Amino acid sequence: MKKTISMLLAALMLFGLTACNSNEPAGSDTGTNPSVAPSSGNDGGKYLNVMLSTNVMSLDTNLATDGDSFEVIADCIDGLTQMDAEGAAIPAIAEKWDISDDGQTYTFHLRDAKWANGDPVTAQDFVFAWRLGVETNEEYGYMFGDGVGNVKNADAIMSGEASSDTLGITASDEKTLVVELTAPVSYFPSLMYFPAFYPINEKFYSGLAEGTYGTSPETYLSNGAFILESYTPGTASLSLKKNPDYWDAARVKLPGISYQVVGSSDNALTAFRSNTLDLVTINGSQVASAESDASLSSKLKVTGAGYMWYLTFSQTDKNAQGGKLANTNLRLAISNAIDRESIVDNYVMDGSLATYTAVPPQFAASATTGEDFSADQKKFADYCGYDVTKAQSYLEAAKSELGVDSFEFTMIYGNNEGDEVANVAQAIKSQVEENLPGVTLNLQPMTKAERLDKMQNDNYDVALTRWGPDYADPMTYMGMWVTNNANNYGFWSNAEYDQIITDCTTGAYVTDYDARWAALYEGEELVMKEAVIAPLYTKSNANLIADGVSGVEFHPVALNRVYKSASIG
Amino acid sequence: MVKYTLKRVGMALLTLLLIVFLLFVLVRIMPGNPFPSERMSAEQIAAKRLEMGLDDPILVQFGRYMANLLKGDFGRGTSLYYGAPINTVLSTAISNSFRIGGIAILIGTAVGLLLGIVAALNRGRFLDGFCTVFSIIGVCVPSYVFLIFLQYFFSFKIPFFPYFFDANRFLFSSVLPSLSLSLFTMSTVARFTRNEMVEVMDSDYVRLAESKGLYGGTLVRRHVLRNALVPIVTVLAPLIVDLLTGALVVEKIYGINGIGKLMVDAITGEGVDYNYVLALGILYSALYIGIMLVVDLLYGLLDPRIRVSTKEG
Amino acid sequence: MNNTPYVPVKEDFQFLPDRDITTDQNFASQGYWKGVAISFFRNRRAVVGLVIVLLIMFFAAFGPMMNAYNYDSIVSVTSEEGKQIVARGIGPQISGVIQGSGNNAALFAEHTFLFGTDDMGRDLWTRTWQGARISLIIAFVTIIIDMIIGMSYGLISGFFGGMTDNIMQRIVEIGNSVPRLVIVSVLAIFMPKGMVLVIVALLLTEWIGMSKISRAEMLKLKEHEYVLASRTLGAGSFHIIFKEILPNTIGPIITQVMFSIPTAIFTEAFLSFVGVGIVLPQCSIGSLIEAGFNNITTLPYQILPPIIVLALLMLGFNFIGDGFREALAPKLEDM
Repeated sequence: MKKTISMLLAALMLFGLTACNSNEPAGSDTGTNPSVAPSSGNDGGKYLNVMLSTNVMSLDTNLATDGDSFEVIADCIDGLTQMDAEGAAIPAIAEKWDISDDGQTYTFHLRDAKWANGDPVTAQDFVFAWRLGVETNEEYGYMFGDGVGNVKNADAIMSGEASSDTLGITASDEKTLVVELTAPVSYFPSLMYFPAFYPINEKFYSGLAEGTYGTSPETYLSNGAFILESYTPGTASLSLKKNPDYWDAARVKLPGISYQVVGSSDNALTAFRSNTLDLVTINGSQVASAESDASLSSKLKVTGAGYMWYLTFSQTDKNAQGGKLANTNLRLAISNAIDRESIVDNYVMDGSLATYTAVPPQFAASATTGEDFSADQKKFADYCGYDVTKAQSYLEAAKSELGVDSFEFTMIYGNNEGDEVANVAQAIKSQVEENLPGVTLNLQPMTKAERLDKMQNDNYDVALTRWGPDYADPMTYMGMWVTNNANNYGFWSNAEYDQIITDCTTGAYVTDYDARWAALYEGEELVMKEAVIAPLYTKSNANLIADGVSGVEFHPVALNRVYKSASIG
Repeated sequence: MVKYTLKRVGMALLTLLLIVFLLFVLVRIMPGNPFPSERMSAEQIAAKRLEMGLDDPILVQFGRYMANLLKGDFGRGTSLYYGAPINTVLSTAISNSFRIGGIAILIGTAVGLLLGIVAALNRGRFLDGFCTVFSIIGVCVPSYVFLIFLQYFFSFKIPFFPYFFDANRFLFSSVLPSLSLSLFTMSTVARFTRNEMVEVMDSDYVRLAESKGLYGGTLVRRHVLRNALVPIVTVLAPLIVDLLTGALVVEKIYGINGIGKLMVDAITGEGVDYNYVLALGILYSALYIGIMLVVDLLYGLLDPRIRVSTKEG
Repeated sequence: MNNTPYVPVKEDFQFLPDRDITTDQNFASQGYWKGVAISFFRNRRAVVGLVIVLLIMFFAAFGPMMNAYNYDSIVSVTSEEGKQIVARGIGPQISGVIQGSGNNAALFAEHTFLFGTDDMGRDLWTRTWQGARISLIIAFVTIIIDMIIGMSYGLISGFFGGMTDNIMQRIVEIGNSVPRLVIVSVLAIFMPKGMVLVIVALLLTEWIGMSKISRAEMLKLKEHEYVLASRTLGAGSFHIIFKEILPNTIGPIITQVMFSIPTAIFTEAFLSFVGVGIVLPQCSIGSLIEAGFNNITTLPYQILPPIIVLALLMLGFNFIGDGFREALAPKLEDM
C-alpha cells in the first residue's frame, strides 16, 4: 500500500512540474521583478539588452554572411552611407558624393571621422577593404560584381584574371574616394551601407596575426557608434559600449548594448518578462499569447524581416519523375492550391505577409514615386492565388499533357531554419494533397547545408527555400532567374527574361529609371506566368520592446536593427 | 601495472589515429559544402574548394591535417566562426562544458549513490518505491525540460539565479544547468546502486558479515557498496564523457557556449564545418578512450580478483 | 628439512576434454521456465507492469482509431470572411463537458480533444498513440539489440580477455567515437532515410553501453570459483559464458536495458535533426516531446501526454524487468 502511495506522490510531482508551467501563459504574474539587475555599463547608464537569435559568426566584413553578424558589425563600423529610419541611404563617412554625368563614376568626399585608435578614416581604408573583399571573394563577393555593384574589374579579379589593384576604386587623396562602375547603378549609394563595402584600417589590420582580425575587442577597430567591449568567437553574450569619438556621437544616446544569444525562441518571452532582455523576437505561437496579454500587447511591434519563403521546382529531367515539374500547368496547379493566407494566419502567425509576387513587398521603393515595387499583391492574381477550381483545372491540363494520373514528389526543407518552417511544410503538404487529387507531396527535412547541396546539384523535386534582399532593388530577387545563375535552382531558361535583366543591369535601361522599373515588372510577370517559383510569404519579426526603449530602427534589408538613435527611458 | 598502462596508452593513441582518419574521410562524404555557399556560383565554389585543398588526394589532405594537429593546431572554422582559430573557440567551450558537466557529474553521482543506498536499505518500503519512480521520471523527462522548469521558478518567479549563463559568475550561473543535467546521471546511478546493493546484500558473504555482527554503515561501506561499485562505475563512465562534452539543448536554452552546441552548429549551420567536426570528434574520442582506460584500471582496484591487464582469461 | 611437501605441478592437472555438460535434471517437478513464470506472475508489481505495457500497446494499436481524426488531419473551420481557422493550441476538451483553453476554442466547442490539439490543429490523442507505435518499435528494437549484440559482445570480450578483449574494446571505442550526426548523414547517402535507417543507427552504437556492463560483470564473475569448477568439469567456453555466467549477470543487464530505452527513444527524435527518421507529419513520442517543449511556455499541456505515456511505459518496463530479475534469481524471492 505504502508503495502505491509513494508512487502516486512521485507521479504527482511530475504533474506538479508541468502544471506549474501551465500557469505561465495565464499571465497572472507578468514578472516585473525589480530585483533582477539588468546589466549596466561602467559609465553609468543602462545598456540595452538585446536578443540575438544566432551566434555572431564573424565580425570581419568580408567573411560575415548572416544578419546577426551584419547587425553587430554595423553597430561598430560606419560605411560611406548609412540607413535612415526609412531605409534610405544618407551620408555617413562620406559627407557628400558626386556622380558623373554618365553615372559611372562616384566621387565620395569623406568627413573627418576617426577610428577608435585615433587614426583618421581615409579613402585608402576603403580601397584596402574593397580590394581585400574582392580578392578573398567570399559569399558576398558577388555584390561588387556585374549585375549588382558593377564595380569596374571586380568580376575579372574574382575570376583571377586581373590583380586586385585594378579594381575600380582609387583614393585620389586622403579624403576623396573615386569609384568607377562598368554601368550606372541607380541604387549604388544604398549598397554602400552594406557591410561588404565597409572600410578596414589597413595599418591596424596588417599589424595583427593572421586570422585574428575581429576575434576580440583588442583585434577589432571601430569607426562607428559603438566599440566592442567583450566578445570571443562563439560566445553567447557580447557587449558593445558607446564610442565617444564617433563623428556623430551626439546622436548616440545608449551607453552600450549587451547582446544575448537566445537559441530557443520559446525562452525569449520569459526572458523578456523577467526584464532580462529589453528587445526580443518571439515566434508565432507566442505572438498569440502576447496579444491576449494586456501588459505585453502594447510592447509588441511587428517589423519586416525582408526575406521571402518560396517553393522552387526542379525542371530538369533527372528529378520529379522524369522532369514532370517542367510542365508549367503542373507548377501553376501547385502554386494555386496553396492557401497562403491560412499559412500566415495559422502557422506563421508573426505578422508575416502572404505573398503573390516574385519580388516580395516592403523593401524596394521606387525612387521616383516612393511606391513599393510589390505594393500591389494582386498584380499577378491570374497566375498566383488561392483558387482550388483553377488549380484543379491546371492539374487536369497537366495530367492530359503528361499523360499520367498521379504525381509523387518530395519536398525538401531545412529543419533548422526557423521555428515555423516544419509547420509550413506540413501545411503545404496537407493543402496540396487535399486540393489536388492525385498529387502526393512527401516531406524530407534536412540540414541547411544539405538542402543547399541538393539544390545546387539539382538533386531535388520541390524545395522550400528563402531569399533575403541584399540591397534595396528588385534586382536582388530578379537576378536569380537568369539562365545559369547559381540561384536559379529550377534551371529555368527564358531568353526574353534574360534580355530584360541584361537591359536593366548593364544595358538599355540603366539610365532610364522608370523604363527600367516597368521592364522589371515585365520580367516578374514572366516568372509568375510560368510559376518558376511559388512565392509563399514575406517574413516578419514580432518584436517585444520594453517600456521606455525608443528609437530602434528596423529594416527589412541589409541591417535589420540599427541603434544609433535608440534610447532607454 | 605501469607497463600495462603504458601499453594501453600506446594502443589508445593508435586507436585515436584511426578514428581521426575515419572521421576525416566521413566528414568529407557528408552532403554540403564546408563553407557558406548560398550566394556563390559554381565557379566560385570550385575555386574555394581548390583553395582549401579539398581536391587533393585524401592522404595528402590528411597528412597536412596531421602535421598541423601535431603542432596543436586544429585549423580554422570553415563555416562556423570562420576566420577565428578553432583553438580559441574550443578552449572556452571546453572550460564551460567541463565545469558545468563536472558539477553535474558530482551532484548526480553523490545524490544518486545516496538515493540508491537509501532505497536498497529500505527495500520494498516507501522510500524504495519513491526512488524507483523518481529515477524513472529522471530518465523520461529530458534535462532541458527540467531546466525550463528550474529557470521558470528560480530565475523568473524567484529571481535568485541568473536567467542566462554568465561566465563572470560561473558557479552561481552553473547551478541550474548542472542540476538539470545531473538528473539523468542521478537516476541511473540511483537505480544501479539500488539493484546492485540489493543483490549483494542477499549474497552469502554479506549474510555472513551480518551474522558476525557487522551492520549499518560499516557493512554497507566495507562489503556491500564496494562490491556493487563495478557496474556503477561502468555505467557512469560513458555518462561522464557525455556530460563533459556538453548538452545541446541545455546549452542553447541557457546561453552557454559549450561543446554540445558547437558540434551541432558545425553540422547544421550554413555549411558542414570539417575542422570543427574533426576537432570535436577528436576531443570526444580522446576523452572516451581515456575514461575507458581509467575504468579498466579501476576494476582492479575495486575488485582485486579482476585483472584486465593479464593475458590469460 | 628433507621432507619437502610435494608441490603440485601443472602437469598433474588436466582439463577434461571440451564437451557440453548438462545441468542435473533432478530438481522439482516443474520446468525452469514454468517456475520463472509462476514466480513472475506471483509478483504483484510485475503484473501491474505487464498490464501497463499491454494497455499502452493496446492504445497504440487502437487509440488512433477511437475518434474521427487522423494523425495528420488538421481540424479547421472557415470563418465568415472565408478565412481558414485552424483548431490550433486548444487545451484538453470534452465536447459539452470541459471547455478547452485557447483563443479559438469556442469555434470548436463540438469537438472532443482529450489531450488537446497541437500547434497545427491536430488531435493530440491520436498523435500520441500514433507516436507510441513508433516508440514502442524503437523500444523493442533496443531491447533486442541490447540483449543480443550488446550482451554477447561484452560477455565474449570479457571472458576471453587478453588480445580478444583488447581488439574488441578498441572496435567499440572507434564505433563510439564517430559522432552520430556524422555517421547518420553519411549512411543517409547510401540508403533511404526512414525508420530502417534509424534502426541501423541504433544498431551501430546503441548496444555499446550494454556491452560495457556485461563485460564488467564477466570480468568480475569469471574469477569466481564456480567458473573454475565448471571449467574443471570440462565445460566449453560458450557453455560457461551463456549457461553459467549469464544468469548471474541478469540483474545489471536488465537495469541497463531499462535505461537504454528512453535514450533510444530520444535518439530517434534527435536524428530528425538531420532529417533521418520518421518524417513529419508522422510522429513519435520523442518528437512529440520535442514539439511540446518548443511550445512549453505558450501551450504547456502539449508536453504532458507524451511524457506521461513514456514515463508509464518505463514504469511498466521497469516493473516487468524487476519481476524477471527476481523470478530468474531465486535468492531474491524472499523479497
